Amino acid sequence: MAHHPQQDDIEALADNLSASADALHARLMRAIRKPAPGTPSSPNQPGIAQGVAQALFENEVALRQRANGLYLDAARLAAAGLGPQRQQLLELTARAQEKIDQIARIKDLVDIAADLLAVAAGVAAAKPEQVVKPLENLKRHIEAL
Amino acid sequence: MKLPRLFLILSLAALLGGCASSTPRMAEVRQFAAQSPKLNAYQELTERYCGTYPRQQPFLSAAADQREKDLDLRRQDACGDFRKLHIGVTAYMQALGTLAGDKQYDLEDQIKDLSSGIKAWPDTGLLDRHVNAFAGLARLLSRGITRQRQESAVDDLLRDGEQPVQDLLDAMRTLLRLYDKSNDNEQRIVLGMLETEIPYVDAERNRLLLALAKSQQQSKTAEYRLIGLRYTLARNNLDAIERSHRALAGQIPQPK
Repeated sequence: MAHHPQQDDIEALADNLSASADALHARLMRAIRKPAPGTPSSPNQPGIAQGVAQALFENEVALRQRANGLYLDAARLAAAGLGPQRQQLLELTARAQEKIDQIARIKDLVDIAADLLAVAAGVAAAKPEQVVKPLENLKRHIEAL
Repeated sequence: MKLPRLFLILSLAALLGGCASSTPRMAEVRQFAAQSPKLNAYQELTERYCGTYPRQQPFLSAAADQREKDLDLRRQDACGDFRKLHIGVTAYMQALGTLAGDKQYDLEDQIKDLSSGIKAWPDTGLLDRHVNAFAGLARLLSRGITRQRQESAVDDLLRDGEQPVQDLLDAMRTLLRLYDKSNDNEQRIVLGMLETEIPYVDAERNRLLLALAKSQQQSKTAEYRLIGLRYTLARNNLDAIERSHRALAGQIPQPK
């Protein structure tokens, strides 16, 4: 397979962006959980204003979206150029089907042998009326080949 | 007269021929082919990856939504190719399974028809033992021809399919890894939004909102954990298929 070194670079860059987003998120959650300064009376009050938290989270989301865009680019590179391989497998599959059909024809040959023997038996018994049906079968089998 | 002895030999040969059956290697090929449904896990996760946008959308700000829309356009464009990867491999595995099939080369039914067809002709001077000997010979011939054909057809298919199958499996593994990483970011956007907003909900005034948000947090956490397990399963499935395929390809006799 034509491996793209570029694909690894893109993936590594996206991994870095994801890791930065993780770090940002950890900082953000620490800031939110830390009680706001000067308000010991309300320990459940987040340590930063909601607007600040939302703006910081928006940055984190943007980093993750950028990373996901790069993962998509890497995925496109990985899937690109595999058309010939797919085509080759479909052709191989079609050829296998032909072989399966050939084998079915060998089975027909065995049927023909049976028909021939039946014709021979009819002739040996000198009963021409008994030869008609085997002959018809034989004709059908040969036509099917 | 030497004819009876000839028939005896033919009958014996037919008896021996009757013992021949599908080789263990063909059974191994069939086992490999039977694993093709394992590729469904890849297909399922490809569909999940391609459906990222609507899952993420309710948790996005207006600006993030616009960026995600643009990303989704590109994603949908690529998904056509991602979906196609497993189709070739699945078709190949199924054809291989049919070709290596146990019944595919079984001419027993025809041989029986042949014998009974002849028995339907009494008074012909053909005795049962003649008929049986003929049937035995036909059986022997058909076995010899088709068994050999089966082996060589399966070998050809394995040999020619080795590289393209390997390439496609490699690509599928890479895509699974990238879907998984992308899924991690999706999870952190969805759960992160809930995690950063819940502390600002007034527990007294908005009890219902808080309950719904926490309940959503629980179910989303469970959903992403399950998807994580599906990724592991899909990866293991690809590994299993690749291992059996390598093992089979390693046993192919050199072409004459």
